[in-house]
Amino acid sequence: MDIVPLLLARIQFTASLSFLALFMALALALSWLLLFFKLRAHRTGLPGWTAAYRFWVRFFALSFVLSLAAALPVLIQLGSLWPGLMDKIGNVAGPLIGFGVLSVFILKSCFLGVMLFGQRRVSARVHTLAVFMVAMGQAATLFWVLALQSWVQTPAGATLIDARYQVYDWHAVIFNPSLAWNLGLMALWSALAAAFLILGVTALQALRRRLDDGERCAFKTALVVAVAAALLQMPVLDGAGRVMAEHQPAKAAAAAGYWHSGTAPGWVLFGWPDAKAQANRAALALPGVGGEWLGRDPQGVYQGLDKFSGMQPPVPLTFWALRVVLLLGAAMLLVSCLTLALTARRGLDPSLLPPWWLRVIVATLYAGGLAVLAGGVFSLAGMQPYAVNATITQSEVLGTASTAVLGASLAGYLILYATLVAAFNGMLFHAARYGVVPVRKPGGSPQ
Amino acid sequence: MIEMLAASLGVNANDPTFWMPLVFMGLLVLLIAAGIVLDGFDLGVGMLLPLAPADERGRMMTLLSPWRDANEFWPLLGIGLFASAFPLAWGVVFGKLYGPLALMALGLVLRSVSFEFRIRARAELKPRWVLGFWLGSVATAFGQGMILGRIATGYQTAAGYGWFAVLMGLCAVAAYVLLGAAWLVMRVDGELQRRAARWARHSIRWTAVGMVAVSVMLGLANAGIFYKWSNPGGLVVAVLVWVLMLLCFSSAELRLARVPGRGEQHSWLPFVLCVVLYLLMLAGLAYSLFPYLILDDMTLWDGTASIASMRLVLAGAVIGVPVVLIFNLLAYRSVFGKERRAA
Repeated sequence: MDIVPLLLARIQFTASLSFLALFMALALALSWLLLFFKLRAHRTGLPGWTAAYRFWVRFFALSFVLSLAAALPVLIQLGSLWPGLMDKIGNVAGPLIGFGVLSVFILKSCFLGVMLFGQRRVSARVHTLAVFMVAMGQAATLFWVLALQSWVQTPAGATLIDARYQVYDWHAVIFNPSLAWNLGLMALWSALAAAFLILGVTALQALRRRLDDGERCAFKTALVVAVAAALLQMPVLDGAGRVMAEHQPAKAAAAAGYWHSGTAPGWVLFGWPDAKAQANRAALALPGVGGEWLGRDPQGVYQGLDKFSGMQPPVPLTFWALRVVLLLGAAMLLVSCLTLALTARRGLDPSLLPPWWLRVIVATLYAGGLAVLAGGVFSLAGMQPYAVNATITQSEVLGTASTAVLGASLAGYLILYATLVAAFNGMLFHAARYGVVPVRKPGGSPQ
Repeated sequence: MIEMLAASLGVNANDPTFWMPLVFMGLLVLLIAAGIVLDGFDLGVGMLLPLAPADERGRMMTLLSPWRDANEFWPLLGIGLFASAFPLAWGVVFGKLYGPLALMALGLVLRSVSFEFRIRARAELKPRWVLGFWLGSVATAFGQGMILGRIATGYQTAAGYGWFAVLMGLCAVAAYVLLGAAWLVMRVDGELQRRAARWARHSIRWTAVGMVAVSVMLGLANAGIFYKWSNPGGLVVAVLVWVLMLLCFSSAELRLARVPGRGEQHSWLPFVLCVVLYLLMLAGLAYSLFPYLILDDMTLWDGTASIASMRLVLAGAVIGVPVVLIFNLLAYRSVFGKERRAA
């Protein structure tokens, strides 16, 4: 079988899903941060909180626009790249997709217009309520997307009858074993993505000029969120790792670079897993660590990659995607904690930080966003060759589109995504320097 | 007729496994109709942007903005409903349409992002987003036309059918340009209205070519559809529809030729005629295919999920439909008539 179409389809789907995940994560966390800014503005009456809301609502709006637009290619590719998939999992996926689309529709049509364009037309209380509902809607949408994404990783509540999943327990389908951990990870990474975006932009502004109250308020909030989320990452990653070990032993073994069943586990810090040699090259391992993140067979023997020959995920990619996630997590923990320590005595005010440290914070501007991307790559690559864990492979549901068509559309998607990310980035840096000018939609929707 | 259909499937007409797919199909056709008409004029105006003088382009995009939020949702809602109500047909249909769908997806993303980013971009970058909106609109319209072409030929893959899909892509571009231009004729006055009437008259011929071609191809490429229309009852309806379409085309053309002029109070007529035309065509297509999702291969009832899943989707639809209705009635109540300039 020609491997190229499968590879192109995998790259395309991973790219689209990662793009969606990145901006969904930003929009989710920014919407909750904006709600916090609004509530603080009500409580304290300080103009700084309102200023922080005004500035960051712009980047919430841009992220939301991008995530909404990005949902369509993911949905279309789910149908057209993997035509056989819905035939098999339609009973499960159909309602979940329906609820996801419905959530985002209700949030957008009922509340987003009020939040973005209706501030003058409604009372402050109603406006804050709209912000709250938008934040809830974001969370609900993410919930349904992750319910499906988790279910394909750890299918539960449905059995495969005649090559088609039939649901016997909806509760078990939705609250499948990995949902809680995936929700936790996504919430934390989205908090980190938004918090580091705010920290980085504010640090950039602090390098150029004196900060105003709004920027200080945003920095303070983002710093606390960043420290909390960076610390919480560790127990959640541990929990997610244990669930993965139980349900996806091949992915767990690839993540650990653990080749031979039954050998003493050792957590490989660095190294290059070589699939040909079935061994790690230039490995630096912590012996005796990491057994709890490896799958075991019924006799309690650790399962290595040799148990899954022919059905291994791409080991180097899985292995390194996880290392990137962990490195970024560690870097964010370090930067946020040190910043907290440096500013704790000065009311978390970044103005007095030394310039070189401000530059370090600027450098981590997209660290949280990259963690979302690497996490997405890890989760998708680690599943291969399966589309639904251990039952349905990607190659059996792959469509018939030719290599040329797949290649051309992949190029189109990559160019489009790169352009849009660059545009977002450009607007961010422009706004960091010159601020944002409020916009109005002429004759905007009548809410 | 409903009873007959149910009997032919061997089920009771009150059986949910029988009527639920019908309800979903009805909703889906409504969503597609809304998408063609409402997202359609939006697409058309988008494609006309480069033809307008540079200083009018911003105004044209501003004209769209009250309905943009509502317009951009139709494709997502339609695809979402198709996926959740007919999951077993979804992959089969989408798998055959990979290329056109990818083109449409790229176009739709570019369109919706360009529109929102243009509002928020600094002045010197706005023209780039106008260009993006244009490009996205062209790709979307072309992709949709190709999808129509592939459906009309029954997804056959011989080389000639590929060219037919390309022709349909071009005709769809013309059809949406016509709709957008007719909408502009109704919406604005002065120089822009005169230009819009000229654009509409150029595109109306290609629209007519497309409609005739798709009808002929439907009949010729699919024996089942030919049979459906060629019995005596079908023939009468077919002739009536053809006469009605001809009337719509010719009166739209006549009205456009007189813009601007005394007919100012009837400037909404070409737009309404176009809407009637497109809805007729959609109805004809739906009637031709019914009760199949894929002709002679998969019916509505073969494409649905299990009854428990359908119930959940229906529950979602029961929540969703009122929201869609209320929101859209509010949003579209002012879609007809002249723009109000004061604001």
